[in-house]
Amino acid sequence: MPVVNIINLKKRFQDLEVIKGLDFQLSERKCIALLGANGAGKSTTLKMLAGLVKPDSGAIVFEGAEKADFRRLIGYLPQFPVFYEWMTGNEFLEYAGQLAGLSKSEAKDRAKELLELTGIAEAKNRRIGKYSGGMKQRLGIAQAIIHRPKLVMLDEPVSALDPFGRREVLELMDKLKKESAILFSTHILNDAEEICDEILFLHNGELVESGTLAGLRTKHQQAKIDLAFKENTLQYAEELSLLQPVSSMKLDGEYASFLVEDIEYARELFLTEIMKRNLPLVKFEISRTRLEDVFMKVVQK
Amino acid sequence: MNQWMTLFKKEMLEMSRNFKWIWVPLTFIMIAVKEPLTLYYMPQIIDSLGGLPEGAVIELPVPSAGEALAASLSQFNTFGVLIIVLITMGTIAGERKSGVAGLILVKPVSYAWFVTAKWASSMILIWFSYFLSYFLSWYYVGVLFEFISFADFLQSFFVNGIWLTLIVTVVILFNTFMKSPGAVGFISIGIIVILSLLSSSLPHLLEWSPALLSAYSNAFIMGSNPPDELLPSIIVSVVMITLSLLASIAIFKRRELA
Repeated sequence: MPVVNIINLKKRFQDLEVIKGLDFQLSERKCIALLGANGAGKSTTLKMLAGLVKPDSGAIVFEGAEKADFRRLIGYLPQFPVFYEWMTGNEFLEYAGQLAGLSKSEAKDRAKELLELTGIAEAKNRRIGKYSGGMKQRLGIAQAIIHRPKLVMLDEPVSALDPFGRREVLELMDKLKKESAILFSTHILNDAEEICDEILFLHNGELVESGTLAGLRTKHQQAKIDLAFKENTLQYAEELSLLQPVSSMKLDGEYASFLVEDIEYARELFLTEIMKRNLPLVKFEISRTRLEDVFMKVVQK
Repeated sequence: MNQWMTLFKKEMLEMSRNFKWIWVPLTFIMIAVKEPLTLYYMPQIIDSLGGLPEGAVIELPVPSAGEALAASLSQFNTFGVLIIVLITMGTIAGERKSGVAGLILVKPVSYAWFVTAKWASSMILIWFSYFLSYFLSWYYVGVLFEFISFADFLQSFFVNGIWLTLIVTVVILFNTFMKSPGAVGFISIGIIVILSLLSSSLPHLLEWSPALLSAYSNAFIMGSNPPDELLPSIIVSVVMITLSLLASIAIFKRRELA
């Protein structure tokens, strides 16, 4: 069941068309990554969904919010969350909870639960002004989910964190996906691959690619053989590339990368040839092109 | 209504955490009480400062109690107004500028309650400080000069208070469509100054102007009859307060917060 339908969303700031017509759907309990380079329009898209920026045209239709306030259904964490510095973490969560419609005691219980879940329980009575960046990020996630929204939107939740913080926040998001749909923006494909089922790839305000990660892999990934020789890598590689239909070969630092159609066939062919001529092989690796390379190609186009 | 109380309590808590409950009343008291004291002790002050030629005799007319209290009242309309603008100019604009408003207003928060909770808490702080300081001033005038009837004092207090209320409301109105507290303050003060200047230089054309309320409120403590224009002036002020508040809510609803 879809949580929200986005229909032909457009937005321009002065002369710059930031979003050029987005169409997509988000389903319940799915984790979707909004991927794209800086300036691709990720934050603007999330802000429009959160109601903070008004789209020029198009529609955002939340299921079950035809009459009621759609803000009940969403939780949002901005890229640089700012809080009331003079409040303590616990006070802020209880405040946010009550504003989201929880009763005083519900807000209290939920705040306690989330402080534990996000791992900032020991700092709950400290002023937010004294929190570190990572703690603010966690507090931000906690306030976004305090009213159990159907859709949680997180704008670059891990980009500003150190590796440990990043890991913990990703694990937290993995837990969250059992309760709500998550839409989060990132410019790092790795983060998306780790916890997401689907991605939306945004480039210059347009959706250039979307779908499940598995689907994208079969669509875009190619088998790859990396070879390195003790010497004359380029010369040997060129000779090998004449052997069979290799779709492309390029020299990548110390080794040569071949994109091949039939991996089994290519492996046998290469290895036999290398043995026969007794070439000084130091590396032979079979892998697949990374999705990252695929996206790099899209962006550079 | 629960949500309104939550918002309102947060405002009250914020004002105590940043000590507004202490420094705003104190500043108001200093502003107000200064006048009767300096008026009363003026001969001694001049004496102790010296610098007058030998034998010079200055006759300072002793001000009446009403004049002393009116001097206090006029201080509220200069320094008092300035402080009111300073403490309210960032109440919404500041939160929007820092970005915390974005975090709060993606929650199902009523825009009307958000604005009115801010307004109500500012009102309470300002009326409290204003009452305390004006009351003390009235007391000192009583001790040093003579006591003015408490009923007259209260009447002037409420009439002038309406003008201060209008100022708070106008500052909140500008808060809803400007993102910079500095700009809100600048424009608010500009408008107040223009309105006051126009009203005092063209009193026959603008006799119903809210800016004249403070002048009218003097009548009570000076023992004269309040002018006929007092009532229209109060009505105009109350209408303007209501309209500004409604406009604030309407504008705030349509704003992009990010």
